[in-house]
Amino acid sequence: MKKHFYLFIVLVGLISLLFIPVHAEQKSVTVMGVWTGAEADAFTKMVAPFEEETGIKVEFTGTRDLPAILTTRVEAGNPPDISVMPNPGQMIEFAKDGKLVPLATFMDREKLLSDYSQAWLDLGSYDGKLYSIFISADLKSMVWYNPKAFAAAGYEVPITWDELMELSDKMIADGNTPWCIGVESGAASGWPGTDWIEDILLRIAPPETYDAWVNHEIPWTDEKVVEAFEIFGQIVLNEEYVYGGPKAVLTINFADSPDALFTDPPNAYLHRQATFIKSFMLEHFPNLVPGEDFDFFPFPPIKGEYGTPALGAADMLAMFNDTPEARAFMEYIASAQAQEIWVGELGKLAPNQKVDPMVYPDDITRKAAKFLGEASVFRFDGSDLMPAAVGSGAFWTGILDYISGYPLPEVLAQIEAAAVDAYGK
Amino acid sequence: MIAKQNRFLLSLPLHIFIILVALIWILPTAGLLITSFRPASEVASSGWWTIFANPFDFTQFTLSNYKEVITNIGIGRAFVNTLIITIPACIIPIIIASFAAYAFAWMEFWGRRFFFILFVGLLVVPLQMTLIPILRIFNQLGLSGSFLGIWLAHAGYGLPLVIYLMYNFVSGLPSEIFESATIDGATTFQIFKSIVLPLSVPALASITIFQFIWVWNDLLVALVYLGGTPDVAPLTVRISALVGSYGQNWELLTAAAFVSMLLPLIIFLSLQRYFVRGILAGSIKG
Repeated sequence: MKKHFYLFIVLVGLISLLFIPVHAEQKSVTVMGVWTGAEADAFTKMVAPFEEETGIKVEFTGTRDLPAILTTRVEAGNPPDISVMPNPGQMIEFAKDGKLVPLATFMDREKLLSDYSQAWLDLGSYDGKLYSIFISADLKSMVWYNPKAFAAAGYEVPITWDELMELSDKMIADGNTPWCIGVESGAASGWPGTDWIEDILLRIAPPETYDAWVNHEIPWTDEKVVEAFEIFGQIVLNEEYVYGGPKAVLTINFADSPDALFTDPPNAYLHRQATFIKSFMLEHFPNLVPGEDFDFFPFPPIKGEYGTPALGAADMLAMFNDTPEARAFMEYIASAQAQEIWVGELGKLAPNQKVDPMVYPDDITRKAAKFLGEASVFRFDGSDLMPAAVGSGAFWTGILDYISGYPLPEVLAQIEAAAVDAYGK
Repeated sequence: MIAKQNRFLLSLPLHIFIILVALIWILPTAGLLITSFRPASEVASSGWWTIFANPFDFTQFTLSNYKEVITNIGIGRAFVNTLIITIPACIIPIIIASFAAYAFAWMEFWGRRFFFILFVGLLVVPLQMTLIPILRIFNQLGLSGSFLGIWLAHAGYGLPLVIYLMYNFVSGLPSEIFESATIDGATTFQIFKSIVLPLSVPALASITIFQFIWVWNDLLVALVYLGGTPDVAPLTVRISALVGSYGQNWELLTAAAFVSMLLPLIIFLSLQRYFVRGILAGSIKG
């Protein structure tokens, strides 16, 4: 009897669980993104006014496995209403397959044109139709330094590449080390080096060459690509130029590498990394004051005629299900109001031109926003645009091989072989 | 006396070796445990072994990681969600598997061998391959995003192994028991209920642990079939969301790992007695 009683309880429990309403009958929009931790908190803050105003609940899922989970759910016909796109290449794939909703069907074109520069709208479009809205950007073409250490040693911020190299030599003559670089990043090790190559390539060749390289219309063994690697090699392979030499570059975590700027005496004076590195510097050294203890200058032009292009990455959202709630949400995140909250929280840069610069947390971020806004040439991080087998595979390992001392032609031939497979040409 | 001493000396190297292997085995976990009690700035600047320089200086330890994990909004709900997912996802396959194992081992029916091989063969199918087709079926049945869906999914993924382990145990029971029970007039179901089930407690305990830990630690299946919204997300999804997308705040993971380990650890230790016996029992007859 007792046994039957327990069995009964278990059964009742199981059956009652079935009736737990998983999604309450409330107007809602499901959003998927890569954001976790502090970024997910900022997202919640950004959507709060929207939820209050419209009564639509935003159900957010943040996972760092976004590419895999999203592809699976899209393939299975169960996509979220709106999702962050891992990169523009993936967005184009989805758009090609007709999975995305063209935004022009409901968004005000005039307003978009006045809020966004043409470059951002083009990046979010495929085949002349707008599919994706950018909500924030990271600038990558930045060299971070410690103004106090610079002043103490009598160094000046270089404007051109030649000045930068002169400064580096001067530092070595003074017994100092110019650069700190770290490319270790777990399974993604090598990516900080890809940003170097991209920045250099944009400065020694016209942007069309960069685009051709990204689309694999020129091979990896092209002389411009070789030159970009060689310029990177002049710094990273030189024991005197980088803190700890190439061996240390391979083993130092990218997030820890700028720590060298803040030791006493400084272990290094220069660090090339994107805007987000600021949060790591402040996490490791909470007492630093942005602008006083650290600052940045643009990665200098190498060949004058190509100027100082801006390399960056950006967060984009696209829409899979055409519901009134999803439409309302897309309009909201495209607005300056939403982006002011989002970039204000995270210190990212806003693509919407109407965003008030005063929302940025400090002058450094304002300076970066100005640089990004005024740059004559903007290019999206190339490794994010390439097929994953190259952009987050062979290119990363190629960087590691090159820094470990493999001959350049061999390294490039290997990436080229992977690229031929991945692009199918 | 001398013989005893000799034996001790002979086994000494073996003991030292085993202790050494155990130490190496436990080292990463120990490092994780120590790290979980260290403040973020120290975790970033020095290794966990540096605490041994002055191990009794308790100011270098902090509970802040644990505090942040436990007070994180939604972690309670996530814990409940994990239980809602895990308990039925253990019970369902184990009930089915014990029926199936008994049938495969002791009942005569057409195609028995074929179906058994088919089931066990499913062990080699990588579950990632099944995600898209199953999610499609779930969409049509309206099961995606529901707990029922994920119970069925976990039950399906668990069944091949669970049936196989149960079969090995049940088929090892002496046939005389079944013969005498039949002579006494017991029906098939009575034999199953009053003989097979009570005798299989060790095997049941060990497969419960297997299935429980697998479902408890699962992240992928939950994300795909259930999604990661706060009202359904299990502990694993919640914990992985503590870390920033560039790996900021990873020190929280160390504490979160021990928090999420707690319940499986309790279950494992309390069922451990059966666990070892169950494994042995299944292994004799292959």
